[in-house]
Amino acid sequence: MMAMTARRLASSCLSLFILVTLVFFMAHLTPGGPAYSILGQKATPASVAALNQRLGLDESLPRQFGLWLWHLLHGRLGYSYLLNRPVGQLLWVYERNTLVFYALSIFIGTGLSLLLGLAQGVWSGRWPARLIGAFQLGFYAMPSFFVAAMLILWFAVDLGWLPASGITDLRDPHPGLASFAAHLALPVATVALFTAASLSRYFGEAVHEELGKDYVRTARAMGAGPAAILLRHVLRNALRPLVTLLGLSFPYIFTGGVIVESVFNYPGLGWLMWRSALSQDYPILTAIVLVIGILTVLGNLLADLANGLLDPRESYE
Amino acid sequence: MRQGVTSWLGRRPGRHGTLAAGLGLAGLVLFCGFIAPFLYPADPYAIHPAQALRPPSRLFPLGTDELGRDALALLLSGGFSTLAVALPAAALAFLTGAAYGFAAGLGPLWLDKALMRLLDVALALPGLIVLLFFAALVPQTNLNLILLLGLISWPGLARLVRNEARAQRGRDFILAAEQAGASRAYLALVHLSRIVAPVLVVNATFMTGDAILSLSALSFLGLGVQPPQESWGSLLESGLSLAALNPWWLILPPGLLIFAALLAAAMTGQGLLTSWQGDA
Amino acid sequence: MSPVLELKGLGVSLRRGGRDVPVLDRISLAIAPGEMAALVGESGSGKSVTALAVMRLLPEGALLAGQILLEGEDIAQASESRLRALRGKRAAMVFQNPLAALNPTRTVAAQIGEVWRMHEGGGRRAARARALDLLAEVGIPDPAARLDDYPHQFSGGMRQRVMIAMALACAPRLLIADEPTAGLDPPRARQIMELLARLRRERDMAVLFVTHDLALVEREADAIHVLYAGEMVEWGAARAFFAHPRHPYSEALLGAVPHLGQARLRSIPGSLPEPEARPPGCRFAPRCARAEEICGRARPPADVAGNTVAACFFPLPAAARAGLAAAPAPPRVFPPLLEIKGLSVRYPAPGGWLGRRRLAPALEGISLTLGRGECLGVVGESGSGKSTLGRAVLQMIGYEGEMSLEGESLARMTPAARRAARRRLQPVFQDPRESLNPRMRVGEIIAEPLRLQGGLSRAARAARVEALLAQVGLSAAIAARYPGAVSGGQAQRIAIARALAPGPALVVLDEPGSALDVSTQAMLLNLLKDLGRRHGLTYLFISHDLAAVSTMADRIAVLRAGRMIELAETAALIAQPRHEYTRALIAAAAPGP
Repeated sequence: MMAMTARRLASSCLSLFILVTLVFFMAHLTPGGPAYSILGQKATPASVAALNQRLGLDESLPRQFGLWLWHLLHGRLGYSYLLNRPVGQLLWVYERNTLVFYALSIFIGTGLSLLLGLAQGVWSGRWPARLIGAFQLGFYAMPSFFVAAMLILWFAVDLGWLPASGITDLRDPHPGLASFAAHLALPVATVALFTAASLSRYFGEAVHEELGKDYVRTARAMGAGPAAILLRHVLRNALRPLVTLLGLSFPYIFTGGVIVESVFNYPGLGWLMWRSALSQDYPILTAIVLVIGILTVLGNLLADLANGLLDPRESYE
Repeated sequence: MRQGVTSWLGRRPGRHGTLAAGLGLAGLVLFCGFIAPFLYPADPYAIHPAQALRPPSRLFPLGTDELGRDALALLLSGGFSTLAVALPAAALAFLTGAAYGFAAGLGPLWLDKALMRLLDVALALPGLIVLLFFAALVPQTNLNLILLLGLISWPGLARLVRNEARAQRGRDFILAAEQAGASRAYLALVHLSRIVAPVLVVNATFMTGDAILSLSALSFLGLGVQPPQESWGSLLESGLSLAALNPWWLILPPGLLIFAALLAAAMTGQGLLTSWQGDA
Repeated sequence: MSPVLELKGLGVSLRRGGRDVPVLDRISLAIAPGEMAALVGESGSGKSVTALAVMRLLPEGALLAGQILLEGEDIAQASESRLRALRGKRAAMVFQNPLAALNPTRTVAAQIGEVWRMHEGGGRRAARARALDLLAEVGIPDPAARLDDYPHQFSGGMRQRVMIAMALACAPRLLIADEPTAGLDPPRARQIMELLARLRRERDMAVLFVTHDLALVEREADAIHVLYAGEMVEWGAARAFFAHPRHPYSEALLGAVPHLGQARLRSIPGSLPEPEARPPGCRFAPRCARAEEICGRARPPADVAGNTVAACFFPLPAAARAGLAAAPAPPRVFPPLLEIKGLSVRYPAPGGWLGRRRLAPALEGISLTLGRGECLGVVGESGSGKSTLGRAVLQMIGYEGEMSLEGESLARMTPAARRAARRRLQPVFQDPRESLNPRMRVGEIIAEPLRLQGGLSRAARAARVEALLAQVGLSAAIAARYPGAVSGGQAQRIAIARALAPGPALVVLDEPGSALDVSTQAMLLNLLKDLGRRHGLTYLFISHDLAAVSTMADRIAVLRAGRMIELAETAALIAQPRHEYTRALIAAAAPGP
């Protein structure tokens, strides 16, 4: 177990290094370079040179890379060109909003997908499973911004029950928890539905597959009833793909869905990324891509380790 | 949001009905994108200020937008630009992914390790995030969009092809062919291609759907197809920006068309898969 | 004494392609306490369906006819809740492939204890103590240390013992063992068999032992029931049955089982009919040498003689079973073809990307010479390195040491010469389905080596394919089919035809018959032997089955843990084994009580 953990950790570190390198060069080798992005395509060579010097962009590429790494290691992610604030500080402000929003959505979505997947696996081939399958296919093919738009039209515009955008009511100087919750309702519903649709499909598939395995027949031959088989045998084994997928969705807990946050104008990290992309605020973009990459690698690592606990064979290869 | 292109590889009893429905829908979407614009000749860019934001009527079958442009004409020309970018992008992604996967799957071990490590990193970044990153850095011409979408959405397929090739590689019939003097190229072209063909075709359909979705999302965010061109995603966005006025005729049709396109891809892929599993 | 299990006219229909297809008819048998009854048949005979039917574990939609009396209680139509109370408590079952049949993510103590607690109640600690007792009883060494191990941490044979311990948890009156030794090599299979035989005596338990392996049950079974195409063809006391089988099918089946030193095996023409296409009269009639007109029309009567019953119009006279064929031909002399000197193979450890660790050698210091036209047998248990030897000879993997074909060192050849040399070394693998590309036609598969070799026109290749098919006893029409549409035996013949296509100097047979039924294996081994003699082929015949190897090989090499511990003429090896391990192999392969 220890050896495996160490190996995975080492492998993740290598991935991280490659990622960091890749992001740096991606950002620097784009046509025009960052200075043009800031000053616009009509910038004069003189103003570009001045900016490059101010930002340290006139150094040799390897030196820039070294400097950049050094700053990165000390948590200095640079300044936002446009907002002129330290990127790290900006990220954290938006991060808090996203964390609440996404953790809640994924929690609800996972709970839903457990129920749906279990039902789908057990009643495979019969109408409840078909119904769930139609739900999954529908949400696979439905773009999230379309679903969000429909929810806004229906619940915010037609019925007027819930606010359509923002995080609290701007007119209210002391927004309470209720206002916060009302603003969260539609975005959370959107993300939870999509999470449930995609996770439940994999989980239902896994439950169905596990139910067909030999050890289930053995349990039946020893006198175990359906409930005991499901809870004591199948559930644990079927959870493994779900854990892997949850690991993959781990970065979203921090970044949020760019699309959902932008539809609902919810000031989270995804929204920040969108705004920065529109205004070509490149230190923020780089920082976000970097943070997401790191979190994804960590998420994969966590999922691997959790699966090692769920399945003794994993730690044994 | 979406985990690669292996989705829908489930074993649901679909039979040929799914395939037929998928192909039918695909036909409908292609018709809207490539043929209908010629059958409905109204100019999408003609402005009728007096008729701004009207619901569907005899004159404007799908109503008008806030500038008084014909929504149906906009929808059809938006369909054309969506498909004209998404389809080549999907093809590019497919070719890149398949080539990369075969190279890793059949090449020597060191190449495989290097390519897979790179792939891990590429897969570590959610596609949409990378798209946004690059879309922000380059001008969003149609050609750039094709290159962007194409060069970003291949890693899923590459991994799939590589795993499939690796799994097949140690199989006895491959060993027997090698013993008879088969080269790597022969193995790839004669043996593996036949085994992997279903996976490739099925994934090609899924990738087409994904390309349409990614492009629509990008356009919805304002970083895709640029004005004066419209696309389904940008149309939906401009409809939604008027949400307070409840212009459902501007939001529903582009949303439903994207939905139809993705449904077509998913059902065609699923249908092909089940019919292949049936005869294998 | 009243029987523990009694089947009266048991019939089973399964849903196949939307119809109810009868797969089992009129099965009647009784097993007394302490008795071991063997249910023997080839794949498709319905033996596993019988076992599952007794436990009422058949798939949904199965229809049952007749009675299943478990200690006098008819459970053929019992409710699911009643069955739950009986399963594991009064009747338990041991399945094949315990790696899949045990839950991979729970410890063995938890799985054994669960059965006990389910039926007897009781606490965690008591269940653990019970599991410990049971593991000791089934012969797991140091059971206390293994309680918290997972199934994958046990070896194949030990895993099956865990499964047996689980079945014994509530001291059932009836134990059903469905092919419990499948996948184990003969010594381990024999040990499991002996364990079950001992347990049934000590616990006075009835055992229904389901198997395809007649040689395995010969020593321990009390009663035999032979199944063919869903019907019982012969049944009765085991001793009398093995002394003189009376149904032509049982007699042929017994003759198809390889015995040590046997020169030729019996093979049965034709193949088992599908359940949808079973003949109306005697189901064996189309393949039977003794069949007359009436056999095709009417159901044969049960012919009782002594302690056995044969369902046959013309049973064989109750004469003693034909003795085994005489000792093999005198040693032949061969000019050398392939010389191996100091061959060692090491596999790199998997997974390590930081430098490469090397594992203990899979093969070490092998030296031998293969003669032209010779068949050299290689036997050993799984993990002994026998397949590695085959792959090294085929030049599929890297090795240390020297190997030369017709005096030319294979390692020192130019790449082109080496490719040409490899073409003359051809493999036949264990699993015929795995060795044929499922998406290529049979004709294309056999022509492939010719195509790669070049120099033949399309028509010439087609003619050659036809000739090769004829050599392995297949009709030319099969060339147009896909591997999915041929039987296992046919698939293996196709693989042989492909191996013969480039005109090989040496054919490496890696367990060529082990994935097949006894009678199909017999046919295949006979075919290989004939082809070898006719074309002067050289074989390297790798198998865990010493008896099968001894029917073909001129000399036999015994491998253990990567080393060759003995190499001798077949007859000499069987008569005077020098190594203790060889003696154990011979004991495991020897028939009779």
